[in-house]
Amino acid sequence: MEHLFTNLATALTGWMITLGLSPVWADVILLLVKWIIIITIITLNIIILIWLERKVSAFFQERLGPNRLGPFGIFQTIADAIKLLTKEDIVPSAADKLIFKTAPMFFIVVAVMLYTVIPMGQGMEVINLNIGLLFFISMGSLSTIALLMAGWGSDNKWSLMGAVRSVAQMISYEIPLAFSLLGVVMISGSLNLQDIVAAQDNIWFVILQPIAFLTYFIAATAELNRGPFDMPEAEQELTGGAYTEYTGMRWALFFLAEYTNLVAVSALMATVFLGGWQGPWLPSWLWIIIKTYGVILVFFWVKWTFPRIRMDHLMSFSWKVLVPVSLGNILLTGAGIYFCQWMGWC
Amino acid sequence: MMQSDIYNVNVGPIHPSTHGGLHAEAVMDGEIIQDVIVHLGYVHRSVEKIAESKTYQQFVPYTARLDYLATNLPVLGYCQAVEKLLGIEVPERAEYIRIIMAELSRIASHQIAISATGIDLGATTGLMYGMRDRERIMNIFEMTGGQRLLSSYIRIGGVGADIPDEFIPAVQSFVNDIPKMMDEYNGLMTGNEIWEARMKGVGILSKEDAVKYGVTGPNLRASGIAYDIRKAEPYGIYDRFDFDIPARSGGDSLDRWNIRIEELGESGRIIQQALDNLPEGEVKAKIPKVLKAEAGTEVYHRIESAKGELGYYIVSDGGNKPYRLHVRAPSFINLMVLPLVCRGGVFQDLITNIATLDPILGESDR
Amino acid sequence: MNGQGLIKGLGITLKHFFQKEITEQYPDVMPELATRFRGCLQFEFEKCIACGICVNSCPNNVLSFETEKSENSKKKKLLSYTIDFQYCMFCNLCVEGCPKDCLHFDHDFELSTFSRDDIKRVYLRPAEMDEEKEADAAPVQDEQESKEQKQIDAMLKALQKNPQKILAKMLEQEEDIGILSELMQSNEKTAGKIAELLVKDKEKAAKVAAGFVTKEKKNRLQAEKGGEE
Repeated sequence: MEHLFTNLATALTGWMITLGLSPVWADVILLLVKWIIIITIITLNIIILIWLERKVSAFFQERLGPNRLGPFGIFQTIADAIKLLTKEDIVPSAADKLIFKTAPMFFIVVAVMLYTVIPMGQGMEVINLNIGLLFFISMGSLSTIALLMAGWGSDNKWSLMGAVRSVAQMISYEIPLAFSLLGVVMISGSLNLQDIVAAQDNIWFVILQPIAFLTYFIAATAELNRGPFDMPEAEQELTGGAYTEYTGMRWALFFLAEYTNLVAVSALMATVFLGGWQGPWLPSWLWIIIKTYGVILVFFWVKWTFPRIRMDHLMSFSWKVLVPVSLGNILLTGAGIYFCQWMGWC
Repeated sequence: MMQSDIYNVNVGPIHPSTHGGLHAEAVMDGEIIQDVIVHLGYVHRSVEKIAESKTYQQFVPYTARLDYLATNLPVLGYCQAVEKLLGIEVPERAEYIRIIMAELSRIASHQIAISATGIDLGATTGLMYGMRDRERIMNIFEMTGGQRLLSSYIRIGGVGADIPDEFIPAVQSFVNDIPKMMDEYNGLMTGNEIWEARMKGVGILSKEDAVKYGVTGPNLRASGIAYDIRKAEPYGIYDRFDFDIPARSGGDSLDRWNIRIEELGESGRIIQQALDNLPEGEVKAKIPKVLKAEAGTEVYHRIESAKGELGYYIVSDGGNKPYRLHVRAPSFINLMVLPLVCRGGVFQDLITNIATLDPILGESDR
Repeated sequence: MNGQGLIKGLGITLKHFFQKEITEQYPDVMPELATRFRGCLQFEFEKCIACGICVNSCPNNVLSFETEKSENSKKKKLLSYTIDFQYCMFCNLCVEGCPKDCLHFDHDFELSTFSRDDIKRVYLRPAEMDEEKEADAAPVQDEQESKEQKQIDAMLKALQKNPQKILAKMLEQEEDIGILSELMQSNEKTAGKIAELLVKDKEKAAKVAAGFVTKEKKNRLQAEKGGEE
C-alpha cells in the first residue's frame, strides 16, 4: 500500500520505455498524467469539500444541511455544478471584457499550480523543487492579481471595493505568512518540502514553532479570504465583493479556486508543521489526506463561529501584531539554534 | 490626510443587510463615510389612508403589518387607543394575557435584532441560534392566535380567544430558558474580541443628540436615558409589575446591542409575574358589533414597542371609521440618526449601525 | 479579552456540533400544528343564514355571496358563497363574527395553486338542500297541478262545444271569433293552448288569441293573393 502510487508511476515509465519512447519523453508524459490526475482529484475533492462545508456548518447551527440528493445529500454539489454550468453567462456591458473573462481562469490556474510542489506522500509530488516553499509562497500571492482583475474588470463599485480590499489584505498578510515559515526553514535548513518533512522525523514543527504555527494559521485564513477575514466577498457589506458581477460557471470557477487554495494551504500546513506524510501504520498518502482534512475542518470551525473583522482592524492587526510577532519568532528561532549548537545538541 | 474623490454607494434597496427596503446612499471618501442619505418609502402601503376606509375592528389586522417582527405590540397599541377613545373596559384576564403576548413579541423582535446583527457582522451561526430560539415564541403565537408571524390575537376589548391548556407550560419553559439563551448570545458574540472591536465606539449617539432627534426605545436607553413608557406612563397594567429599565451611557453600537440582550431578561421577568398572577375570568369585553365614537373626539395613545415609542393618534367624526389615523413610528425617527452616527466611520460601520439601530421598514414607511 | 472570548465562542459552536439537529423535515414529516392553526378557510353551506356579518367584518373584501328572496318565507335563500382567497390575511375576524359557526380554518396550509383562478373558491348551493325542500313541498305542488289540469280539461271541452260564447269575452269582432273557432276546430294544439292560458292568465290569453287571429288573417290574405296571380 505504501508505495502503491510510486510503483504505478515507475511501472508506467518502464512500460513506455519498452514501447520505444526515449526516457525524456516518458518523463514528460508521466508529468502530464500526474497533472491530469491532480486536476481530477482537485475537482472531485472540491465537490466533497463543498458538501462537507455545508454539512459541517449545518451541524454547528443545529441544522441538517444538504440531505435531498443521494445519501446524506452528497450529490447536491454535483447538481449545483450542473445548474451553474447551464446558467446564462452574463457579461456586464460596461465591463472590461478581456479582463473580466480571464480573471476567473487566471485564478484557478494559479490555484492549481500550488499543487506542483506539495508532497502527497513519500516521493509523491509533481516536481521535487529545491525551492518548493518559495515557489508556493510566490504562486499563492499571484491570486491577488486575479481578484484585482475581477474587481477592475467588472466596472462595479462593490467589485472594485472588494478587489481593493483583497489586494491590501493579501499583500499585508503575505509578509507574516512568509516570516512564519522562515522559522521552519531555519531549523530544517532547506526550502525543499520533502526535506522539511524528513526533518520532522522525530518531532513535529508545531511543537518547535508554536508561534509560527499560529501566525501561519491566521495569515493563511486571511490569504484564503475565508471568514473571519472574508473581506473581498463580505456579502453582507459588499454584496459579494469582487464576484458581484459574475454568473454561472465563471462565478463557480472563483468558488472552485477558493477551495483549491484552501486544500493547498491546508496541505502545506500539514506538511510544514504537522509532520507531512509521516505517521505510523497507515500509508503516507493517507496520512497527508487525514492531516489536510483535519486542518480544513479547523478552518471551517473558525469561519462558522467568528464574526467578520473590520478592514482597518485587519490591517493594523497584520502590521502591528502579526509582523512583529513573526519577526520575533525568527529572532527566537535563531537564538535557539545558536544555543543548541553552543550546547552541542545539534 | 489624503483626500480622494467623493463617490456614492447605494446600500439598498436591494442589499443583503438593509432589513427590508431601506435605501441608504453612502457618500464615501475611500472607505470613510462622509454622509449617509436615507431614502425611504420602498415599503409604503399607505396604511394611514387605509385606516380611513376600514372600520375600527377591520383595521386591527393591518396594524400587525406595521411591525411584523413584534406582531402583538402594534396591535396592542392600536386596540388600547381605540379602547381609550370609546371608553371600553378590558377584562382583567385579558390584560394579563396581553402583557404576556406583548412581552413575548418584544423578545421575538429583540431576537430578530440580535440574529440580524449577527449575520450583518458575519456571524452566521449567531443568526441561526437566535432564530432557533425565536421559533419557540412563534409556536406559542400559533397556539393562541393560530398564526405564527402575524398572529392577529389581540382584539378591541380583549383578546380573540382564551389561552389553550398547553400555553402556560410552553411559556413557562421558554421563560426558564431565557437566561441560557442570553448566555449563549453573549458567549458566541458579545464576548468575542472581533465583535467587541467592531462595535465598541462605533456609531456613537450622544445623549443630547438622541433627545434632539426624538430617538426612543433601546437606542435612547443605550445613550444614557432610562426612559421607558412602561415606567414613565404605564399603560394597561404595567404599573403592577416589577422590572428594571436597562440603560447604558456610551451610546455606541455595543451598548445598543447589550441593551437588547438585557431586555430579554427583563421581559422574561414580566412574563413570569404575569403567569404567576394570571386571574380567571372573561377574556373579551362585551362590545357592540358596530363601534362608533362621538364626533370630534380624538385620542393619542402610546406604548413602548420593541423599537421605541409607538403612538396612535385617532380622530373620529362620529362614524364607524376613523376620520384620521396617524402612527408615530419609532423606527422612522430612529432611522433619522443614521447619517449622524455613521459620519466619519468606515463603510463596515454603516452596516453595524443599521443593524444596531434595528429599524423595521414596514413601520417607518407605513 | 486576549482571545478568551474567541475560544469561548469556539466552545459553544463545538458543543452544538454534537447536539441533535432541530430541522423540521417538512415534506417528509408534516409539522405538528396547533389546534387553532389557521390554514385554509372553509365554508359550510348548510349552516349559513346569509346574515352578511362575515362580509362586513372582512377587512379585505375576500368574502361575498349571492342570495335570492324566496316566495314562501321572509328568509333569504343563499345561492352561492365566494371566498376570493388571494386577498385573505387570515385575521380570523369572519370566523369570530359568524353567529352560526359556518366558517372555520382547517389545517391545510399548502395553498399554492398553478393558476390564479384556482385560488378563488365558489361554493354553489348543494343539490341536496333544494331536494330536501322540494320533497317537503312536492305533494302540495302536485295537488295544485292536478287541480289546474282538471280546469284546463274542462275549459277545453267547453271551448270545443261552444267556442263563440267563451271567445266573445276576449275578442270584440264577430269575424275574429269566427276565424279563431274555425282555427281551433282544425287544430287541437291551438285549442289546448288557449284553454291553458284561459285558466292561468286571462289577459295573456286575450293577447295570444288576438295574435292567432291576425296571423290567420295574413295567411288568408296571402292565399287570396296567390289565387289571383
